[in-house]
Amino acid sequence: MTLTGWEAVFFWVFAVTALMAALLTVLARNAVHSAMFLISTLVSVAALFILLGAEFVAGAQILVYVGGVMVLFLFVIMLVNVGAEERGKEAIFNRTPQVVASLLFSGLLVIGLVIGINQGWRAIQERDERDNRLVEVQVRRAQEEQALPVAATNTMKITRDTERIGNSLYRYASLPFEIASILLLVAIIGSVMLARTIKQEAVTDDLDPEVLKEAAPLITERADLTEG
Amino acid sequence: METITQVALQFLAITVAFTVVLMIVAYTVLAERRVLGFIQGRLGPNRVGPFGLFQPFADLLKFILKEEIVPDKSTKFVYFLAPMIAIIAALMPMIVYPFGPAINLPFIGSITLVIARFDVALLYVLGITSVGVYGIMLAGWSSNSKYSLMGGLRSSAQLISYELSLGLSLIGVILVSGTLDLYSIVEQQGGYWFYVIPRWNIFPQIIGFIIYLISAIAETNRVPFDLPEAETELVAGFHTEYSALKFALFFMAEYVNMFTVSMLATTLFLGGWQGPGVAQFPILGVFWFLIKVAFFLFLYIWLRGTLPRFRFDQLMNFGWKFLLPVAILNIFLTATAVFIGTIYGWW
Repeated sequence: MTLTGWEAVFFWVFAVTALMAALLTVLARNAVHSAMFLISTLVSVAALFILLGAEFVAGAQILVYVGGVMVLFLFVIMLVNVGAEERGKEAIFNRTPQVVASLLFSGLLVIGLVIGINQGWRAIQERDERDNRLVEVQVRRAQEEQALPVAATNTMKITRDTERIGNSLYRYASLPFEIASILLLVAIIGSVMLARTIKQEAVTDDLDPEVLKEAAPLITERADLTEG
Repeated sequence: METITQVALQFLAITVAFTVVLMIVAYTVLAERRVLGFIQGRLGPNRVGPFGLFQPFADLLKFILKEEIVPDKSTKFVYFLAPMIAIIAALMPMIVYPFGPAINLPFIGSITLVIARFDVALLYVLGITSVGVYGIMLAGWSSNSKYSLMGGLRSSAQLISYELSLGLSLIGVILVSGTLDLYSIVEQQGGYWFYVIPRWNIFPQIIGFIIYLISAIAETNRVPFDLPEAETELVAGFHTEYSALKFALFFMAEYVNMFTVSMLATTLFLGGWQGPGVAQFPILGVFWFLIKVAFFLFLYIWLRGTLPRFRFDQLMNFGWKFLLPVAILNIFLTATAVFIGTIYGWW
C-alpha cells in the first residue's frame, strides 16, 4: 500500500506529530503538559486509523482514551498537584543507571519491533502473492463501495465496517473480550476497596471486630458525613 | 477539477451550516433572556431594535470591544487554547446531522441535506463531545486561580459521570435501528404504527429518552446541573479569569452544545426531519427538524426558569446510583426485546 497525494501529506503530518508528541510526553517537566502531549499523540494515532479506513477504531480511540482515560489522568494530576516542575532547572532524570537502563530497554524494543515487522510483512506479502488475494480484495472492495450511498458532497461513503467489527469481535474473540471486562471489573472493585477509609468501612459494617476495636478512637461520631 | 469542486462544495456546506447554527445560537441567547423574563414576570431585553432583535449583535460588539485580561501567573498557551478547544469541539459534530431529506435544487440537482455521512457518525458525535471537557478542564487549570481550578475539577467530574449514562442511553436506539449512521436512523423512523403513532424511537425507547434528556442537561452544564459555575460558591467557575472574546467563546460553546444535544435528541428519538408532508415537499423536513429542536431549546430555558440547583453529592449520587443502573437496565430490556423480535421476525 503506497500513499499518494493528500493522503501522503496527512500521513506524514500525523505520523510526525504522533512521534514528536510522544517524545515530549516523557520530556515535559510539567505533568499536565505531559498529559496534553499524550492526548495529542492519541489524537494523531486516531487520525492515522482514519487514513487506514478504520473509522470505528478511530472513534473508539477518541471516545475511550481521549474522552475518558485521559480526562481521568488530568483530573488526578490536577487533584494531587504533582510538583516536580517546581524545582526549576534541576535535572530530574539524568542519573547514570536510569539513562543506561532506559537506553538498553528502548534498544531491545526497537530491535524486537524491527524484526517482528520485517518478518510479518514478508509473510503477509508472500501469502498475498501466492493467493493473488490483494488484487481480489481490492476488486471486491471497489465493487462493494460502488453500491454504497453517498453524502451530499460526494466525498464520503457509508461502509459496513462497524458491522464487520462487531461480528468478528463477538464471533471469534468473545472469550478475550469477556476476560478483559472481568479484568476491568476486578480493577474497579480493587480501587473501591483501596479508596475506602476506615470510617466508611465502619459505617457499612465491613470491619473485623478486632480491627474495629483498635480503630475505635479514629472513628468519630459524625459517621453520617462520610456516606456517599 | 472535480476534486476542487467537491472541496469547494463541502466548504460552502460547512460554512452555511456553521453560520446558520451560530445565528440560531445567538437568537437562542436572546430567546432565553426574553422567555426567562416572561417566566419571572419581568420584561427582558427589548430596547435594541424591535423586540430586542438586534441584542445579539450589540452583545457581540460589546464582547469584542472589552479589554482582554490575561492573568499574570497563568499558563499562557493553554489559557488561549482552552476556549478554542471548547468552541471547536462544540461545532464539529454539526457536520453529521441530517437537516433534511434529499431535495431537488435548480442547477445543482438532487442533494441530501447532510454534510458528511459516514459509518460511525454517532460514535463521532460522542467522541467529539467528550473532547469538549478539555476546554473546561484546561481553562480551569491554566487560569491559576483556585475558583477556576475548583470549577474545572467539578465540571470534569460531572461531565465524565454523566457522559456514561448519556452514552448508554443511546445504545438502546442503536440496538433498535442497527446502525450508527444518523441518516439511516432518521429514515427508519418514517411511517406510522397503527396509522396514528409516528414510528419515532421515543416510543420504544422512552426510558432511554428520559435518561438522555437528563444527562444531556448535565453534559451542557445547564440548570439544575450548573454546579461548575455555581456563582454563590465559585464566583464563575472555570471561566472566572476569562474576559472579552475568550469568555464569549465559552459562552457560545455552551449554547452550541445545547443546540447539538437538542439536535441529537431530535435525530435519535423524535424522528429528525420526519413529519407530515415530507414525502410530497422534502423541504418541509428542515422545518420539522427545526421545530423539534426549538422545542428542546425551549425546554432548556423553561427548566432554567423553574428549577433550583443540585448539591454536589446529590448530583453524583443521582448520576451513578440512579441514572447509570437504569440505563443499563434499559439496554438489557432492549437487547432482550430485539433478540426475541429477531427470532419471531417482528422486524
